[in-house]
Amino acid sequence: MAQTTALWPLIIYFAAVLVVVGVMLGLPNLLGQRSRGKATVEPFESGIVPVGDTKIRFSVQFYLIAIFFVIFDLEAVYLFAWAVAFRESGWAGFIEIVVFIFVLIAALAYLWLIGALDWRTRRQRRVESKINN
Amino acid sequence: MLDALWLVPTLPLAGFLLLSLTAGKLPERAVPWIGAGSVGTAALLAAIIGIAFWNQPPESQFFRQTLWIWMQVDGFQPPVALYLDALSLIMAFVVTGVGFLIHMYSAGYMAGDPGYSRFFAYMNLFVFAMLVLVLADNLVLLYLGWEGVGLCSYLLIGFWYEKPENGFAARKAFVVTRVGDTAMAIGLFLLFTQLGTLDIQSAMQRAAAQWSAGSPLATAAAFLLLGGAVGKSAQLPLQTWLPDAMAGPTPVSALIHAATMVTAGVYLIARTHVLFGLAPEAQWLVAVVGAITLLMSGLTALTQTDIKRVLAYSTISQIGYMFLALGVGAWSAAIFHLMTHAFFKALLFLAAGAVILSLHHEQNIFNMGGLWRRLPIAFWTFLIGAAALVALPLTSGYYSKHDILLAAYGAGPSGSWLWAAGVVGAFLTAVYTSRLILIVFFGPARAHHAVEEKLSLSMTVPLIVLAVLAVIGGLLEMPLQPVLPVSREHESGLLIGLITSLAPFAGIVVAILFYGTKRFSLEAMLRNSAGFSLYRFLLNGFCMDWLYDKVLVQPYLRLAASNKQDVVDKPYQAIVWISRSVHRLLTPTQSGKLRWYAASIAFGAAVVIAIGMFT
Amino acid sequence: MTADALIALLPIMVVAGAAIVVMLAIAVRRNYRLTVILTLLGLVTALATLPLAAERAPLAATELMRIDRYALFFIGLVLATGVAVTLLCYDYFAKREEQKEEIYILLLTTLLGGAVLAASSHFASFFLGLETLSVSLFAMIAYPIKERLPLEAGIKYMTLSGAASAFLLFGMALIYAEVGVLSFAELGRLSATADFQPSVLIGIVMIIVGLGFKLSLVPFHLWTPDVYQGAPAPVTALLSTVSKSAIFALLLRYFVVSGSYSYESLSAVLTFIAVASILVGNLLALLQDNVKRILAYSSIAHLGYVVVALITGRVLGSAFAVEAVAFYLVAYVVSTLGAFGVVAVLSVGGDEAETLAAYQGLFWRNPGLASIFTASLLSLAGIPLTVGFVGKFYVFSSGVNADLWLLVWTVVIGSGVGLYYYLRIVLAMMKSADGVATAAVPAAPAPLVGCLTLTVLVALLLWLGVYPGAFMEMLQSLSKTLS
Repeated sequence: MAQTTALWPLIIYFAAVLVVVGVMLGLPNLLGQRSRGKATVEPFESGIVPVGDTKIRFSVQFYLIAIFFVIFDLEAVYLFAWAVAFRESGWAGFIEIVVFIFVLIAALAYLWLIGALDWRTRRQRRVESKINN
Repeated sequence: MLDALWLVPTLPLAGFLLLSLTAGKLPERAVPWIGAGSVGTAALLAAIIGIAFWNQPPESQFFRQTLWIWMQVDGFQPPVALYLDALSLIMAFVVTGVGFLIHMYSAGYMAGDPGYSRFFAYMNLFVFAMLVLVLADNLVLLYLGWEGVGLCSYLLIGFWYEKPENGFAARKAFVVTRVGDTAMAIGLFLLFTQLGTLDIQSAMQRAAAQWSAGSPLATAAAFLLLGGAVGKSAQLPLQTWLPDAMAGPTPVSALIHAATMVTAGVYLIARTHVLFGLAPEAQWLVAVVGAITLLMSGLTALTQTDIKRVLAYSTISQIGYMFLALGVGAWSAAIFHLMTHAFFKALLFLAAGAVILSLHHEQNIFNMGGLWRRLPIAFWTFLIGAAALVALPLTSGYYSKHDILLAAYGAGPSGSWLWAAGVVGAFLTAVYTSRLILIVFFGPARAHHAVEEKLSLSMTVPLIVLAVLAVIGGLLEMPLQPVLPVSREHESGLLIGLITSLAPFAGIVVAILFYGTKRFSLEAMLRNSAGFSLYRFLLNGFCMDWLYDKVLVQPYLRLAASNKQDVVDKPYQAIVWISRSVHRLLTPTQSGKLRWYAASIAFGAAVVIAIGMFT
Repeated sequence: MTADALIALLPIMVVAGAAIVVMLAIAVRRNYRLTVILTLLGLVTALATLPLAAERAPLAATELMRIDRYALFFIGLVLATGVAVTLLCYDYFAKREEQKEEIYILLLTTLLGGAVLAASSHFASFFLGLETLSVSLFAMIAYPIKERLPLEAGIKYMTLSGAASAFLLFGMALIYAEVGVLSFAELGRLSATADFQPSVLIGIVMIIVGLGFKLSLVPFHLWTPDVYQGAPAPVTALLSTVSKSAIFALLLRYFVVSGSYSYESLSAVLTFIAVASILVGNLLALLQDNVKRILAYSSIAHLGYVVVALITGRVLGSAFAVEAVAFYLVAYVVSTLGAFGVVAVLSVGGDEAETLAAYQGLFWRNPGLASIFTASLLSLAGIPLTVGFVGKFYVFSSGVNADLWLLVWTVVIGSGVGLYYYLRIVLAMMKSADGVATAAVPAAPAPLVGCLTLTVLVALLLWLGVYPGAFMEMLQSLSKTLS
């Protein structure tokens, strides 16, 4: 039970957070005015009444590229860390970083070869290969 | 050589696995080679091991082979070990030797049956279980074998499961023996908790050291084991299942319900003879149970009309003799009779099977008659078996039964009564056996079907070998002194010996007067109403089934029916109800909603942290 | 980094290398059979290097990993499981996806994560291993990307895993903030001498929360049935074996090495979790009609049993706990692989064979598979002569010896309830096949590779149930090496 005394600040803080959030969410509900017009729940922006569905399918090729960028970029961070300790890590460090880079290259080669970097749709690819032949 | 002991039970097990895993897809020609071959090899091996054992007996008079320790979790370490001494060696001989002959016979007898492969698989499993039972070094393994043979008995009685009667007979056998098995299981638990060891030999030693003669614990344990023994060996009051067990194929009756499994009770008592020595009351009860059973089943056998049922009652009666011997301390005589009985009763069943097969599965003896010319092999072998059963001099049965009766005479104050019961039983044995032979093989031919003796070689050879064994088996008396205490020698006098030897002849004469020369008419006795009701009473086996039905089954069913909604059920229903309602309470938590799942992790974390902080 | 350390790490490095080789092989030429062969080759090579590593053990290969016999045993378990899953996958995916080769890269990285977890002795490798394992599993679960259920399962598992990892990281941070070290051994040394703030305890509890989620312990179990049901059957087999055994190996090592047994209140936390897992898991499975969900609930309960063995280590000493946990995990892995393996083999033809109706009359249609399934279920139920019985016996005797009667009784009740739903499946298989069943499952010829794998598994299951002695001795000797 001795432990709990040390926790009191935390508990009070936690309770305070709860109270503040509760008040912020609850008060407007009690105090605020409500209107139930015809168009209250409709989205409305800049005087344009929305038409059609919002669920449109986007092509996400760029998303894939973005992910690749994040991954490879993040891995570059390790290179910086290694570069800083270049002398200290010596040959062992050098070999390790070579292995690391090799894995990265292997991954890049894999992505390239399976066509993950190819933006064209399947149909475009077919058409293009016909043209080239 | 002794190190090959483990192979003896393993071979039948391998046969069982092979036959059951191929699930009847093997060609029919291959099946008996596997089924009988595995048991035959085991028999050969057992013989070699036996010779090695006798030529160079180990110092300690036993051989123990620890195969492996099943598991070792602090203190509890049941070993899987085999134990070989003179007693278990004789049992192993009987099980593999007689078992092999019966397997060989079955190859011809069961030929063409759709369940051919299944039959041999069960039979091999049975031989394996029986070997485990007799070679077991500890109580766990013993119990495993004990239950294993019970299971195989159930499977084989109901082998032709298309007929509902066979299923009922199998179930009856299973349920009735289960009563005994439960008693035995409790007995084994008692031994384990009180003596603190699973090993049979050290349990016996500790029992002798811890318990004085007649102490309540020893008596209780002996009574419980006796309960198991009477169940398995079909002795009073649990004998009612054996006659019905004849629903199985005849080789099954020969192997399981005559030669081996039903004698497991005798083996159990002999194996734990130290315990029975400490409990004189229990041992006395063994003798009394044996005596009463042999008389009752002898009387019942007089009236039966089904050839296999006559033999079944005769089996019960002969095991009664073994119990009598155990009860008066004639341990070796009991095991000796067990062995000779295995020979001649297996022979009788197999010869009866030959008759039944030749008559197209006719089992009623009053539809037979005059068969001795048409079925010479069956007749002569049956006659030899019958002579041994009746205990005519020079046959194996004579020596063993004579030993038992003389030992009974010399056993204390009640000895002469036990002896008298045994002699009357021998007389009855002679009467019903002669009756059977006279009706089946002599007299006018009554068969409606064409009779043809169609015995293949695989059936003839076992019959002849067993016939030889039934005659000379008496010379095979084996030394059991190191294992079982020697029974006291008695001077019984010439007169007693003479009466004992002549009782069977009197029975034969009586039977001939009734059924051969027809000097006395049975019909006249049956016309008398008292005679008829006696006949009915005996025909139904002392109406034990009726009695049990009225005293046990009906009241139990009525009690169960009237108590359907009783208090005792409530807790069980409550368990079901609670489980189900908790299940229903919990199911909505599996809503499939990710948000709720994530929230539950947070709630759970809060609860767990709270528990961590405030305890 | 010495040569010895490199050799000790060889099993892990071989798995990592195999993943890259398989990836490049796919990039160069897509050949399903070649991919599987390469994968198996990699796993077998990794298994073959275990004795080499064992000669060097125990050894601290960098601060992150400690290669001792305990670690090698669990690496071996993870890799052997991987072999079995690869073989099960072979038939299952053969006719399914367009790009089915990549599943084996993911499989290898999952095993890599598991192997790292089994050997990790540091918070960093702990977290890295766990994430390698989990991230690969996300992709594997959602591998049949055009189907609804796997996708849903993958997203659920990923999102919730993220939440759990957050707990885990927060827990580690709390501990680090107070103690200032990340290595388990250092932590154990310091906490034996110094007296720390309660925030360390909160940190450990949060780690338990994070791991409890991965182990699907109540109250963090809600995802389990949905994910198990949605994932392809071989992946479910992987998820329910490799990730559980590797993570539990880590949890046990953490408990023993970092001296967490000294916290009395952790026993209360674990007791609550164990009791809740056993009861809730078994009760939820009770009337379930989906075999995969039944097995999911059953795995919740089984992990509860293992936690019981973990708790008793406080009283009985860590050696016995290691022995009991290791044996139980092996029993659980073998039985579960057998059960999910049957599901996978039966699902080869097309739809997942997951409803109870699909199993009706299986004994008459395919006696071999039905027998294997029955054996696995009986082992899960803890029937004697199966490996599951011996495992449960361990849990039992450890509970009794430690005088933890609440846990013992919970195990008893749980086993009783468990028998009911295992036997329900067996009963369904025994039922007559007439009418209903033939339509429910298309009669695909049982695939050879899968059936052989299952036969080996069942042989192992019975072998360890009848003859566990030698294996137990090995566990006893290795249990003393962890300290």
